[in-house]
Amino acid sequence: MKTALDQLIAGERRRQAGRLWFAGLSAVIAAVAAVVLLGISGWFITAAALAGVAGPAASHTFNFLLPSAMIRLLAILRTAFRYLERLQGHQAALGALAAIRPRLFASLAASPPRTALRYSAGEVSARFIQDVDAIEGMFIRLSAHAGAVASLIAGLILTAFAGWRAAFALALFAGLAAGWAWWTNRRAMAAPAAEVRQAVGRLKDVVAHMAASAPELRCYGLEKWAADRVAAEDERQAHSRLGLARVLGASAVIQAALTGLAAASVLLVARNASPPVAALAVLAAAMTMEGVQALVKSLEQDSDARAAAARLEPVLSHAPSPLTHLRLTAPSIELSEARVRLKAGERLGVSGPSGVGKTTLLEQLMAMRSAPRGAIRLGDLEVADLDPQLLRASFAYAGQEPVLLTGTVRENLRLAAPKADDAALWSALFAAGLDERVRRMPSGLDTWLGEGAGQLSGGERRRLTLARALLRPADWLLLDEPTEGLDAATEALVLERLDHRLAASGQGLIVVSHRPAPLALCGQVLAVKGLAEDGRVLFAARVPEHQA
Amino acid sequence: MDAAQNALADRSMTPQVLLRHATRAGGKSSRRGSLLLIGDAVAAAAFAGGVAMSVARLEGGLAAIWPWLLLLVLGAALRGLLARGVLTAGAHAAGLVKANLRRQAMAGLFVPARRVGDAAVTTLVEGVEALDGYVSRFAPSRLAAGATPLLLIAVAAFASPVAAGIMLFTLLPFIIGMALAGMAAAEESRRQFAALERLSGLFLDRVRALPAVLAFQAEGRTTDDLAIRSRELERRTGRVLQKAFLSSAVLEFFAALSVALVAVYCGFNLLGLLPFPVPEKLDLARAFFVLALAPEVYAPLRRLAAAYHDRQAAEAAMPAVARLTPPTELRAVSQPLRKAPAISLHDVTLAYPGGDRPVLDGLFLDVPAGGLTAIVGPSGAGKSSLLHLLLGLAPLSGGKIVVDGRPLEIGTSLAASSAWAGQSPLIIAGSLADNIGLAWPQATRDEIEAAARRAGLGMLIDTRPEGMDSLLDERGGGLSGGERRKLALARAFLKPAPVLLLDEPTANLDDKSAEALLPLILEAARGRTTIIATHDERLVRMAPQVLTL
Repeated sequence: MKTALDQLIAGERRRQAGRLWFAGLSAVIAAVAAVVLLGISGWFITAAALAGVAGPAASHTFNFLLPSAMIRLLAILRTAFRYLERLQGHQAALGALAAIRPRLFASLAASPPRTALRYSAGEVSARFIQDVDAIEGMFIRLSAHAGAVASLIAGLILTAFAGWRAAFALALFAGLAAGWAWWTNRRAMAAPAAEVRQAVGRLKDVVAHMAASAPELRCYGLEKWAADRVAAEDERQAHSRLGLARVLGASAVIQAALTGLAAASVLLVARNASPPVAALAVLAAAMTMEGVQALVKSLEQDSDARAAAARLEPVLSHAPSPLTHLRLTAPSIELSEARVRLKAGERLGVSGPSGVGKTTLLEQLMAMRSAPRGAIRLGDLEVADLDPQLLRASFAYAGQEPVLLTGTVRENLRLAAPKADDAALWSALFAAGLDERVRRMPSGLDTWLGEGAGQLSGGERRRLTLARALLRPADWLLLDEPTEGLDAATEALVLERLDHRLAASGQGLIVVSHRPAPLALCGQVLAVKGLAEDGRVLFAARVPEHQA
Repeated sequence: MDAAQNALADRSMTPQVLLRHATRAGGKSSRRGSLLLIGDAVAAAAFAGGVAMSVARLEGGLAAIWPWLLLLVLGAALRGLLARGVLTAGAHAAGLVKANLRRQAMAGLFVPARRVGDAAVTTLVEGVEALDGYVSRFAPSRLAAGATPLLLIAVAAFASPVAAGIMLFTLLPFIIGMALAGMAAAEESRRQFAALERLSGLFLDRVRALPAVLAFQAEGRTTDDLAIRSRELERRTGRVLQKAFLSSAVLEFFAALSVALVAVYCGFNLLGLLPFPVPEKLDLARAFFVLALAPEVYAPLRRLAAAYHDRQAAEAAMPAVARLTPPTELRAVSQPLRKAPAISLHDVTLAYPGGDRPVLDGLFLDVPAGGLTAIVGPSGAGKSSLLHLLLGLAPLSGGKIVVDGRPLEIGTSLAASSAWAGQSPLIIAGSLADNIGLAWPQATRDEIEAAARRAGLGMLIDTRPEGMDSLLDERGGGLSGGERRKLALARAFLKPAPVLLLDEPTANLDDKSAEALLPLILEAARGRTTIIATHDERLVRMAPQVLTL
């Protein structure tokens, strides 16, 4: 059965077919040139020696022009086509990479939120950068296979000049070398290579565990103990890497011995041919074995690529879902636990102490977290059954953590409304009380905000996410602690402008906060008292208006 | 090792110098790898000699050639054995270098210089791991690239001084060309590396911002944006590669040309048709020998060029590793306090280097001896950082920490006098007793069990067949969230420390488990100066003093 990644790679191979063919063809020419070059050099020298021994007459009739010209030509061909092979192969790989990365992102975005939002920064870089690089290598190495086959064919033809036995000897040893390489790669290497990967994974777990426990380790004087635990994992890793090196080393011994045996047996069976032909055969055979070695190296790296592919597969198995432009028209929201039904345009405040589950309610509405059946209805539909895309279409959301892009003010705002003009951006910034700050920035809307908008303060980042949410023309606005970290004066200003803007747009509002001011915007306030086991948000008695 | 560690922590060093210092730990294995790789020259000469003599003696029949065929096979096999030795020596050296570097950098988790987060873990694991190829492949290749060509040319000189002269003569422009082209290619590939890094950075950023991307249904647009930028990079990289590969093609061309030159010289010498006088008359064996040796002269240099990527990866990773590594310094030893101290903070400022604003700014706090203070405030307000400050894990950028009326000396902390309980205690593979005993190694088995029972683990001990010997795995298998917090409290009970620091001890617990913990926390706090960072209102209500950040 073909996996999603296989299909993706096959598709890219088709798309890059021109370059890959060119790279393969170049590899063939370069490999043939290398084999013939060495063979002819051997033939030339041996024949020259015989002619030299035979005396000046033989020397002068010896045609040295053609072989010496051939030697130079073949040297140039080998170099030139090796260059073309590498260039085309790498360009094909880069082209494939440019398609695989975005597809990976799309698949990640389409995975269930629990998976998609789970990855840590380290994992993302390991999976999406290093693993994809390993896949890239597979494209580069495709031409090596063609080159190996071509050098084998060229070698067989040249050794055949010394008789079929010589060609047979070469075929035998080249076959053994290739077979051994395949076996090493698929069988002998699999276990140690997996062991190395596991050892690195375990090392990472231990280091992360120790880093997270730094205060505890410090208090109990366990710093050195922790370093020793990590060193023990390091030792296990070194041990497994040594095991892998031994397998690779054993393979190197076998391959080198096979090369020696190939050369010796070609000479042995060709000893009755003329010396120049025997020289041609033995050097061609040695070069052919070197060509087969390239295949060995490429197979070794393929096992890394296969492991990378296996890790990428679970992400890619989620096909990007086509975005629907469907949305419900002005849906109501019904919270059955609280026996509340909000009509479009109404406002609800949600209060309660930290950590009690207020945020969970908003995340269930946003399909960032699965909603328990029977808890929430949007319009007449059960939220647990709704497609996330359809669900999200009804909401503009500013979450508890201000998540911003690395980019400019404009790029961040445009995430919510790609077609918004500057006037709309400024009006949203005004509503969030951030317009003056942005006007003072060196390049206004185009000011670069640094990584994760880190050049803004916490409160400014929060207001920028608020402005972004305000730009999205959705029926409901969902705000999670929108005024956290703001001083009282700024909070009052932001809430007043928000009130005006909502009154003008007719958007509904659900605001989660443990502060009284944001809740005061709302007609009714519910207090959350906890979460049920199925994830259902439980409410305390209804809190009367303007009293959080 | 201390000198090496101080060298690593020296911020002014270039990545190259840092790498040289770091790789010294490879010691004997590194040297063995290089020597074995140089020894390959001898094996290559044996192989070439075997081929040359066999061809030259071919007319003598089997009797004349079999010793040479044997030499040929042995030479080839020796090359394999040496390659195996290089691989294992490289793996061994890389293991030593990485372990040493990691041990030094681990100390960076315990200095008041930075927040310890994902980035530090990535540096400690992937960053150090990036040196693997450098130590195991690049470093031996570099030494061999210097020695092997000259060694082989010297061997060739025995057979034909003139051919050896040709090799030496062509080696010079080869090396100069390689240095020049190498520099140009290095510049190009640095730029390429930087461009790839930028794209990777963009990619990581968008994955990090995935919650926002999903919320605004911007996954399609973001994917398109990534695709456009990837294709842009593809086009630019294509041009870079053209140049980078061209310079290596020029090198290969030089190598091929010089081999052809040797072949043609030998041929004409054998024919006696050289247009100029030479002081030697070659025979077939000697000519064939230098011909077979010629490509080997350039092979080490090409191998070095192929390992260039390893060097680049190591140089890119090294500065971050060095930044994490603290200089070894004489840490003032803090004597553990005997009785619960009064702790006050005077106008304390805490700012991480590179942070945009201080985490704590002008903070005053007085915790009376034996008192209990709760610290509340939104996430990110600096509650945990305040606790880290007392343990010397966060920088005191301004103000004073005063313990029993005396300011804490620079480099000292309250760590030796403190016990700690947090959200997710450290759990190791081992028995329950081992896990608790970590906190106070000199404790007897009975003391450990008493601490466990005081922390409310009595039920667990009594219901499990192995009691205190019940095995736990690293993920805390078999313990509920509440039991893990109790394990942390058991450690606090065990260590006779006069200060108790608690970081969100009840967070992410269900109501019942959290409420069960409250009396245990109060019991642990008795007679100690206690500071609790928390969101939990029940804990806050218990505290006689509350500080809001």
